[in-house]
Amino acid sequence: MPNIVLFSGSSHQDLSQRVADRLGLELGKVVTKKFSNQETSVEIGESVRGEDVYIIQSGCGEINDNLMELLIMINACKIASSSRVTAVIPCFPYARQDKKDKSRAPISAKLVANMLSVAGADHIITMDLHASQIQGFFDIPVDNLYAEPAVLQWIRENITEWRNCIIVSPDAGGAKRVTSIADRLNVEFALIHKERKKANEVDRMVLVGDVKDRVAILVDDMADTCGTICHAADKLLSAGATKVYAILTHGIFSGPAISRINNAAFEAVVVTNTIPQEDKMKHCSKIQVIDISMILAEAIRRTHNGESVSYLFSHVPL
Amino acid sequence: MFCVAPPELETKMNITKGGLVLFSANSNSSCMELSKKIAERLGVEMGKVQVYQEPNRETRVQIQESVRGKDVFIIQTVSKDVNTTIMELLIMVYACKTSCAKSIIGVIPYFPYSKQCKMRKRGSIVSKLLASMMCKAGLTHLITMDLHQKEIQGFFNIPVDNLRASPFLLQYIQEEIPDYRNAVIVAKSPASAKRAQSFAERLRLGIAVIHGEAQDAESDLVDGRHSPPMVRSVAAIHPSLEIPMLIPKEKPPITVVGDVGGRIAIIVDDIIDDVDSFLAAAETLKERGAYKIFVMATHGLLSSDAPRLIEESAIDEVVVTNTIPHEIQKLQCPKIKTVDISMILSEAIRRIHNGESMSYLFRNIGLDD
Repeated sequence: MPNIVLFSGSSHQDLSQRVADRLGLELGKVVTKKFSNQETSVEIGESVRGEDVYIIQSGCGEINDNLMELLIMINACKIASSSRVTAVIPCFPYARQDKKDKSRAPISAKLVANMLSVAGADHIITMDLHASQIQGFFDIPVDNLYAEPAVLQWIRENITEWRNCIIVSPDAGGAKRVTSIADRLNVEFALIHKERKKANEVDRMVLVGDVKDRVAILVDDMADTCGTICHAADKLLSAGATKVYAILTHGIFSGPAISRINNAAFEAVVVTNTIPQEDKMKHCSKIQVIDISMILAEAIRRTHNGESVSYLFSHVPL
Repeated sequence: MFCVAPPELETKMNITKGGLVLFSANSNSSCMELSKKIAERLGVEMGKVQVYQEPNRETRVQIQESVRGKDVFIIQTVSKDVNTTIMELLIMVYACKTSCAKSIIGVIPYFPYSKQCKMRKRGSIVSKLLASMMCKAGLTHLITMDLHQKEIQGFFNIPVDNLRASPFLLQYIQEEIPDYRNAVIVAKSPASAKRAQSFAERLRLGIAVIHGEAQDAESDLVDGRHSPPMVRSVAAIHPSLEIPMLIPKEKPPITVVGDVGGRIAIIVDDIIDDVDSFLAAAETLKERGAYKIFVMATHGLLSSDAPRLIEESAIDEVVVTNTIPHEIQKLQCPKIKTVDISMILSEAIRRIHNGESMSYLFRNIGLDD
């Protein structure tokens, strides 16, 4: 059986180190740097011939630089005769551009899938894809892991009144996700949808469901500028919710997100560490992090050993 | 030395150059109604083609006119024998490709296998497989309608125009349901809440979502979450991590989020196939005080016993488009009504053939539709 080699891209060194620690491995030696003309250069610092290579790189921050770095690392390992290259992409870049929602719009997530395949990836491990159908953009195996078990565990351990909570989707598209969590907690759900009363009138948010005297937990797969979840929080409080939490897998938090969260009435905004959050936590005390490194580590271990990964879909490794 | 066509042939060449040919790939005559309507609207004759089954059940396609250098549009409506339908299409596409057609555009109003569009317990993503097969056969463009998931467009390496039936269904609501302003748009499961919102927004109505025991069409049980780990004798990288059990997911009793009392309930979805979940939803809505129940869907597959079950149910009317032929079902159940969408398909064909923009056909379509 080939040995496992774990490399980290520069997007999320902390997560890579945590994964390596869980697996009892050292991170592989790799030097990534930029030339003066801003081109990315990658040098793999150890032999990968015949090895099972895993490259951890999240789609965040300088997203195009990180994507190119990942592609170059994959290709470097491929042409250095590794037996298999698996890209571990906790937050898949361009995942929201997954369909033609306007005329002449590109399906950029499909383009990224093609780029990864062309670079030489044999397998993808990712988490909470914006749409599961993105797996079908690839001709190689894709393991889409779920943060849901870790989220459920966090709710039970950190929200004392969780039995009196209601799970809320900030838009109609997330209804399926919230009902899955509500069912597992055996609580009710609600959703917020946009409604236009007259043509040319600004959208107003309508709450469908009863949140009065309950702890409301907003759940979504990602939060970017946080406009939607902050409006949703106001709506829930005005409808009688006692407290409002937001739980999101991917905390992108771009633009005015941090100031919006600081000004909003959240008890906490809980995200996983698929994207680094250290800087944002310094500026916003409401942000809390669920560590999902053990899920990624266990997926890597199982993939390497040829074990079933599907067990992780409903369980959290200790 | 250049080969110049004699003058008597020149006019003929100009006529056929870049011409449009419309074929129906169905061997089943009941599936050709939509093709005929489209041809009528475009003012063209259907192309001459024979599609039939050999005695050994193999499909045979014989194209009986030249397609060299032409835009070929192949209209394929899905019959009950879905796999034969697919083979008919693929064989015809390949026949046109090898006969030097300039472009081959598939017009597939209902894309088969579209529900199998994500990974489920080591299954296949069948709609991706089908997309790859169509591209490999030689399709250069696809026109379809209300894909089960819009992301299916990304399974193709060719342009896909996913037309919408919602304007036709909305028009039906406004014209055929007199007191529609007292209606509420209902999603029979959380998965269709987005579609319900899209309808509700344009009709300026409220929405309700049904959730609970009866909704099991796309259950998580089949996506591998309940699969046990493999027992391996080979040592792991380091000792296997103990994994505690979580409380298993339980479907709660049926609940309706949103108020339907004293209202008309309009259940919207993209496909109506097995009607069990629709019947359960209708019963629930009746119990909650809805006084009339309509079901609106783009694709009326209405499989097996569906017409009889609808006829005996609390549903007042089922409105579907003619993306799939259902004349027999209508004879069995007068509650089934049809909305004709041949107009938008023929306009899409005309625009693509003339190289015009398609965005006009999406002018009233929201992001959630």
